[in-house]
Amino acid sequence: MGKNIGLVIWAMTIVIIVAGLLALYSASYHNIRISNEVFYDQLLFAIVGLVIMFLISKLDYRNFYELAYVFYAGAVILLILVLVSGRHALGATRWFSIGGISFQPSEMAKFGLILTLARYFSTRNPSVSFETDPFGNLWPDLFVPLLITMFPMLLIFKQPDLGTALLFVGIFFIMLFASGLKYKYIAGFLGVCLFFLPFAWHILKPYQRDRLLVFLNPNIDPLGAGYTIIQSKIAVGSGKFLGKGWLSGTQNQLNFLPERHTDFIFSVIGEEWGLIGTIIVLGCYFVLIWSGLKIAEQVKDKFGMQLTVGIIAIFTLQVVINIGMVLGLCPVVGLTLPLISFGRSSFITFMIMLGFLLNLSRRRTVF
Amino acid sequence: MRLKIIRVVIIFLFLILAMDLIYVQALKGNYFYRLSVNNRIRVIPLEPQRGRIFDRNGNVLAESRLSFDVTVIPQDVLDKDMLFTYLGQVLKIDKKEIAARYQQRMYTPFAPVVLIEDVDKQTAMVLEENRFRFPGLYIQETFQRWYPSGKTAAHVVGYVSKIDSQKIKKLKNYGYSQQSIVGYSGVEEYYDQYLMGEEGGLQIEVNSRGQQVQLLGIRQPEPGRDIHLTIDVRMQEISSKVMEDKAGSIVLMDLDSGEILCLVSSPGYDPNVFTDLKRAKERNRLFIEPASPVLNRVIKGQYPPGSVFKTVMSVAGLSEEKVNRNTTYHCPGFYKLGNRNFKCAHIHYSQNIIQALGHSCNVFYYNLGLVIGPELITRYAHKLGLGELTHIDLPSEERGFIPGPRNRRGEKTGWYKGDTLNFSIGQGEVLVTPIQVVRMMAAVAKGSIPQVHLLKMIENEPLVTNSIIKVIGLRKDVMDTVHEGLRAAVVSSSGSARQMNMAGFEVYGKTGTAQTVKGKKTHAWFAGYNLQGSRRMAFCVFLEYGGSSYYAVQVTSDLFKALRKENLI
Repeated sequence: MGKNIGLVIWAMTIVIIVAGLLALYSASYHNIRISNEVFYDQLLFAIVGLVIMFLISKLDYRNFYELAYVFYAGAVILLILVLVSGRHALGATRWFSIGGISFQPSEMAKFGLILTLARYFSTRNPSVSFETDPFGNLWPDLFVPLLITMFPMLLIFKQPDLGTALLFVGIFFIMLFASGLKYKYIAGFLGVCLFFLPFAWHILKPYQRDRLLVFLNPNIDPLGAGYTIIQSKIAVGSGKFLGKGWLSGTQNQLNFLPERHTDFIFSVIGEEWGLIGTIIVLGCYFVLIWSGLKIAEQVKDKFGMQLTVGIIAIFTLQVVINIGMVLGLCPVVGLTLPLISFGRSSFITFMIMLGFLLNLSRRRTVF
Repeated sequence: MRLKIIRVVIIFLFLILAMDLIYVQALKGNYFYRLSVNNRIRVIPLEPQRGRIFDRNGNVLAESRLSFDVTVIPQDVLDKDMLFTYLGQVLKIDKKEIAARYQQRMYTPFAPVVLIEDVDKQTAMVLEENRFRFPGLYIQETFQRWYPSGKTAAHVVGYVSKIDSQKIKKLKNYGYSQQSIVGYSGVEEYYDQYLMGEEGGLQIEVNSRGQQVQLLGIRQPEPGRDIHLTIDVRMQEISSKVMEDKAGSIVLMDLDSGEILCLVSSPGYDPNVFTDLKRAKERNRLFIEPASPVLNRVIKGQYPPGSVFKTVMSVAGLSEEKVNRNTTYHCPGFYKLGNRNFKCAHIHYSQNIIQALGHSCNVFYYNLGLVIGPELITRYAHKLGLGELTHIDLPSEERGFIPGPRNRRGEKTGWYKGDTLNFSIGQGEVLVTPIQVVRMMAAVAKGSIPQVHLLKMIENEPLVTNSIIKVIGLRKDVMDTVHEGLRAAVVSSSGSARQMNMAGFEVYGKTGTAQTVKGKKTHAWFAGYNLQGSRRMAFCVFLEYGGSSYYAVQVTSDLFKALRKENLI
């Protein structure tokens, strides 16, 4: 079984990456707006990523127990640096450059967050402690992990990157849920959060509010986000059952979708490969996440379990939100499709997480 | 148990996605396929009206007037040749020219291509009436920027132009699109976010013959906000006239508030060439002209200050008590260092600091420089705001440069006494911008540095500025002595700015004749302030390669006489 899960993970990863490369090639094919460099770039990073995945699978994830807070601190420092150094630029300041290679610290922060939460939760046992003294343990079992999440989340929100900030909220709730805190407390906490939701509305930037409003009614913004949603839906739908064929998507080739090599890449797959293609890609993600769940059930230590849950959470949330975005089921918040969207930092981060998944699968019975 | 629930949720989420994919692709696939084959959705942008720019008295500096563009959506044009022939006839333009523009500007079949900008209203109506005969033809309402004051306030106001690819990358999250008109310099650029408004548009569905079937959505454009500046357009006019045929700059600033009353960089340019298509040739010429008219010398020109720098030296020497008002140095017309002679303009004999400021005696300041030492000179230069950004509300301000023993321009290393001597009279590596000089004069006059700014109010919200005045803590006796010296330059019969001595208007100032590169004329400076009259102002007049400071003083004198004649000061 151990070998099998590893093989399944490898196989799914490679199928997804190949599907992504094909879509990227198509998205940049004979296109004046998107250079075909995005394809070669991604190809290079796919190879680098696979090597990284392999190397990490050979390590012992428990070594990272010690390093968790270091990762976290490093990510937070980089996030602050990005905000400070990019202060004068008008655009979003997610990009940070070290020695000419730019990367997004928010991607690294994702991983830093799940490592840290995994380590923190592994030291707690709220299902027991909370019952005996709910108020005394409210702080360590709920608010400390909340603060751990909020700090990098607010920095990312400031960039502004609403999608990743919301992703952090999702990760937090899923890992909190897995920590075993009793339902009534989780429900109570959720209730408090919902109560404060209207206040959050006011700290959003106007364009972020627009995007959320547009989700409710695409016609209020026919030029911007609404247009993108309508066009991407047409693209996916027009692929019908078998698709229009590789490099033959008309929506794709006619520059209809502005960000189709990044956030809207799934629409290219939908148009060119049809329902067959989209279901296969969706299925691959599902199997990948399913394998993760298996590992989470069998892994013997709490740190490993929480870490696996964190990785599953990121994958699930990004796949569901991104595809939901393309289909007009979710607001356009700017989250990438794992292993398929163009973007080096995001790609490498996912490969690192898959490496961890492999190594968790190999050690799930070892003490 | 918890993991089981997570599993159920994941299955549930994936099922939703799968079912929606089946719905969209399998069940509604034919519908979307039809829409995609001849994509039926068109977007016609509606441009917002850009905010206006006013001077301090409500005179218009920039406004947007309605204009009409002839636009086509390539996909819907049935017979290009016929359409171009028709347009050629109505607009009296060569058909080939129209076809060439079409080739050049089309990038996707569905995005509107602007063929002819700014046609008159009559023509626009004729075309609109005949539109039904030519599917894909649209008359788009847009706005043309117009600068009534032309050259007069060009460097303050700036100009607008269609967004370029670099800018769009940076700004696309902030409501800008490919079609956006954005500010490219001056206030137009700095306050673009307020001025631009928000783009609107029509989203329509067309049939296979390109005719509109239904309106899917509309968003009204939101006009930009009006901006009121601190400058006075009449002062701008007078200053521009005084600077005619000269290169350089004039800045007048309200001492107490930091409001810029007048900012002229010469030669100037007419910002209307950027919006008037018929003047494209003039526009291209602007950027290759050797006199660089587009360059705003006030904030981007970096020049050696020459003797103007002696103001800093005096403040430093007196504050650090290296000299007092009675200390004298003897000037034999030169200063001998090793076997090199450092020159002075005259033989001044024995001079105290007040006389030395008034006569601009180099030898006094050579001596003072050696007593103070370069580190303190650097410190005081920065303290008075030289080599520091003023953060005036204009884009791309330059910083200038203040050297020091451990901070030298270019490849030079080490620091010798000769360097200190050059430093003391504002030569060598020192570079300042005219706006820094104005601010320095305000600092000397008041003992505090106001925030230099151009914005008075946005729409009806006045700017609150009193909290941003930086007190630099000059002692009263220091300031009094420096005042006296700067006044001596004007009132003393041998003062370096004696032409400025006018009845009823007391000017304090320092001249500067700054050496430039070999073979070129010197820069001429005159900067200072007045403390009575209807308004306390700091000023700086700068003539690039203008020769002796005498000419700068002359220009200042002409300027103030003209301003007083018009009762502006």
